[in-house]
Amino acid sequence: MKASPTYRAVTFSDRLILLLEKAKNPIFYVVLFIWALVCIAPLYFTLVFSLKPVANIYDEPLFFPNPFSLENYRDVIGALPLFPRWLLNSMLISFAVTCLRVLFCAMGGYAFARMEFPFKNFLFNAMLVSMMIPGQVTLIPSFLVVGPGIIRGGLKIGELTLPTGFGLLDNPLGVILPGVVSAFGIFMMTQFYKSIPKELEEAAMMDGLGRFGTFFKVVLPISATQLITLALLTFQGEWNNFLWPLTVLRTPENFTLPIGLNWFRGEYYTLISKVLAGSLFNTLPILIMFFIFQRYFTQSIAATGLKEG
Amino acid sequence: MATTALAQTDRHKAARRRKWREALTAYGFLAPYLFIFLTFTVFAIGYAFYLSFTRYNLLKPPEFWGLEGYRRVLCLEALLPRAADAGPLVCDDLFIRKALPNTILYTVIVVPAQTILSLILAFAMDQNLRFRRLFRTIFYLPSVTSSVVISIIFIWLFSPQGVVNQIFGLNINWLNDKNYAFYTIMLLNVFTTSGTMMLILLAGLQDIPVAIYEAAAMDGANKLQSLWHITIPMLRPVIFFVVTVGVIGCFQVFDQIYVMTAGGPLDSTTTVAYLIYKWAFRDTAVKMGQASALAFVLALIIMAVTMIQRKFIEGSGSVSS
Amino acid sequence: MKKLFSLISLLMIAAMILSACATPEVKEVIKTIEVEKKVVETVEVEKKVIETVEVQKEVPAERAVVRLSGWASSPEETALLQGLLLDFTAANPDIVVKYEPITGDYWQQLKTSIASGVEPDVFYMDIFQYPAFAKDDVLLPMDDLMAREGMKRDDFIPSLIDAFSTDGKTYGIPKDFNTLGLFYNKALFEKAGLKEPTDDWTWDDLKAAAEKLSDPANNIYGLGVPADAGRFPIFVFQNGGMVMSDDFSDTTLDTPAVAEAAQFYTDFRKNKIGAIPADLGEGWQGTLFGKGQLAMVYEGGWLIPYLTKQFPDTQYGVVLPPAGPKGEGNLIFTVSYSISKNTKNPEAAMRVVNFLTNEASQMKVLESGFALPTRISLKDSDYLKSNAASSAIFRGALDGAKPFMWGLVGSDVNDQMGKALERVYLENQAVDAALKQAAEVIRQKLAEAK
Repeated sequence: MKASPTYRAVTFSDRLILLLEKAKNPIFYVVLFIWALVCIAPLYFTLVFSLKPVANIYDEPLFFPNPFSLENYRDVIGALPLFPRWLLNSMLISFAVTCLRVLFCAMGGYAFARMEFPFKNFLFNAMLVSMMIPGQVTLIPSFLVVGPGIIRGGLKIGELTLPTGFGLLDNPLGVILPGVVSAFGIFMMTQFYKSIPKELEEAAMMDGLGRFGTFFKVVLPISATQLITLALLTFQGEWNNFLWPLTVLRTPENFTLPIGLNWFRGEYYTLISKVLAGSLFNTLPILIMFFIFQRYFTQSIAATGLKEG
Repeated sequence: MATTALAQTDRHKAARRRKWREALTAYGFLAPYLFIFLTFTVFAIGYAFYLSFTRYNLLKPPEFWGLEGYRRVLCLEALLPRAADAGPLVCDDLFIRKALPNTILYTVIVVPAQTILSLILAFAMDQNLRFRRLFRTIFYLPSVTSSVVISIIFIWLFSPQGVVNQIFGLNINWLNDKNYAFYTIMLLNVFTTSGTMMLILLAGLQDIPVAIYEAAAMDGANKLQSLWHITIPMLRPVIFFVVTVGVIGCFQVFDQIYVMTAGGPLDSTTTVAYLIYKWAFRDTAVKMGQASALAFVLALIIMAVTMIQRKFIEGSGSVSS
Repeated sequence: MKKLFSLISLLMIAAMILSACATPEVKEVIKTIEVEKKVVETVEVEKKVIETVEVQKEVPAERAVVRLSGWASSPEETALLQGLLLDFTAANPDIVVKYEPITGDYWQQLKTSIASGVEPDVFYMDIFQYPAFAKDDVLLPMDDLMAREGMKRDDFIPSLIDAFSTDGKTYGIPKDFNTLGLFYNKALFEKAGLKEPTDDWTWDDLKAAAEKLSDPANNIYGLGVPADAGRFPIFVFQNGGMVMSDDFSDTTLDTPAVAEAAQFYTDFRKNKIGAIPADLGEGWQGTLFGKGQLAMVYEGGWLIPYLTKQFPDTQYGVVLPPAGPKGEGNLIFTVSYSISKNTKNPEAAMRVVNFLTNEASQMKVLESGFALPTRISLKDSDYLKSNAASSAIFRGALDGAKPFMWGLVGSDVNDQMGKALERVYLENQAVDAALKQAAEVIRQKLAEAK
């Protein structure tokens, strides 16, 4: 923004604003640069030291792998014959959860943000409260529901025996099912939809599109940024999810990548270089995913005709 | 007169029908969530609530013992002076003495730090700067890595001979010194969460229509004014979201502590969530009932904090606004 | 709108059908006659078994599934177990063993499974955790099954199998064990001009050697003295002290014998002739021993394969822990195979346990070097004769050794012992006060557990 010539006396606050305007970009660049360094450093050092022999785990040089060795990576792959299987399992589970959760959370969030219905505030508050109970104590009951059932041997009504659980122990579906919606996601989408102006939807409603039509034809497209943000967070969360799959999955063939790698970590805990190499194996696929998503992320902003950030 | 009254009841009827239709539609939208919520969340929380009134060691069925679990969690008598010959306390003072103060300290430091940092980052990313995409990817790096993995990396980086000490020429035993361990974990949390929060805030920022800024500029508002009068108010729901999630995350901080310090050295990093885990699974004499009771005490605290927070980020909290 | 409704309901129905289809147990049917023959043959050898076999014959078409869980502690150990299971399957075609390793927190997973009624049939049981499991009756008493399999308690080292017995019943077959030995670095001893330690060493020898071996300027210390409840108690035993009373109803940490032992132990670091791993920037003293920064450490057999693999150049020896004023003292770390009380196939489970602990399998455990066999008959094996290091660890169990187990509140006792040492090390608290504080907290926990 250029300072336009004015005839009015330039006040102190105007000068301050001008100064800020000029200094703003350099300041931002410095902030960004420093934080970027901080963000890269841990993973960079991890990479460097995973490429060094185990014995050199605390030795200089810090910034490049010398002596160089691929032994750690070879060991990770060699020790884990099921590695491709775990990668596939992780991919499938994360993908399924992401697709379903984004859709369901967008729907739920939209209902909370835009519609009036009985028990709305109660349900919303109940959802918030459910986020506040730490997972350690709901682990066992959740496990009962997804696996063996609340009542051992099933609910008996006369001749009939009804299962009280889904029986999905050691089954990838057992990992997916409770994850298809999340209170976090609905809360996030609710707050997003509240920050978007209503005008576009109201126009669509006037045209007689109805709620569902408006939602799918108008709301979903204009909220692409948030949907992709949620998708990204969900995918990342599911990819790194540890405790729940660990509880549900039993046989090594069904493991996801973090659980499989944790097996590796449990065995090689004294050899940090190898553990570092294993950790990068877990991080790399999700990084690649992010790079791909990143493109859509910026595209979607352009496509919606909203602000070009 | 009669016709208008009739029209009015008609209108009333129509309005009521519309209301019903809307409620039905809303529940349609919410159906998948409610299904999971009812089958998992409600049951899981109800079951945990029941357990909080029992003594339960996982190996044999729970025994009901009323509020005794809550008494042992709070253990208020630990704060009272005791006679020397009074015998051992029959409760656990770890919550009141260590876990609760630690958790509050943690939240008070981490939540403002991560929110302000991610706000600055999001504003910067929202400017017309070069290499924006590159920066965004880099900033997201710490959030991508799983908390367990990044904790392992931090253990190694912050070990006495580790890279951090080598670069800065320090000789600090970060994770084994009770004066540093907790702050190291706080640093890790700010580091890992800021990327995610930046992304959420950025998505919020980018959805503020340009037209509003343009209109403001026409009215002669400068950038600072539009920041204050447009950006911040428009962003309020999203900021409320970020702060709420941050508070909940801080009160429930577990992974990093579990991996890095297991509550030590000398309980200096024992938080409420870690204590719940310790009671529920780690101790040889498991105290699942007490752990459940503590979970509800924690939930109450979080609820209170969230409510206070709503007052501060006022108006944006309630759904009906 | 209708479309979406039907889509959602379809999805839900699909989820329900899918969940209904997935039956948790996979039972494979086998119709070979050969299997039955084999069973009959074993019957002729052991007449007692007849009863069970007849039962088995009535439902001969099913292969019994035995689920086995353990933790992963080293690649070698996992490979060893998987090899043994393969051998077992070859020898017992009528039993399917499903190995379900637990990669996260083992006790959390196992206890969750037990609480939900889906625990594995056979699982590892650490002596440290054993009291809680024995008290609450979740393990199967094995004596009858052992008799049917032809196993005898006398076949195993008494201190080990006794550790897993309560009220005269056996609840676990020890799978391997470890004790602590004094590992010493030969090169550092030579450099200091010292004679190498022997089994007859005492505390005085240990202290004198540590003084000569230490070189703080070069980050070399004589003895590793971690604030670790898995090391310190041997000094207590060697000084005639105890950690807990005999029936585990009280702690004896605040007795003079313990205080003296703690003073002796912590003085190593105070006088700069000993160090804790964190002083030298490591989490585990085994690594520091390999690097030559600690001249002596108390560790178990697990250090042997680690050194072979990671520090092949480090020359070391192992002797019994030096005796204290009141003689020998050592800790026994042992793990058993235990069977769940809810198992549907107790006989098959016992056959698995029997196979994994028989002499041939135990010989393989021994040869792997990281743990010691629990069969007494292997005491005089050639392997132990030619491997002095393993032999020292094995002999550690024979004199003055107690199981690493402190009763129901064991984890709290461990915590408090570690914290007491930490307070002495890091906060310069007096030994007496530190131990008294620890004892108070332990009593509180004991009162709570009642």
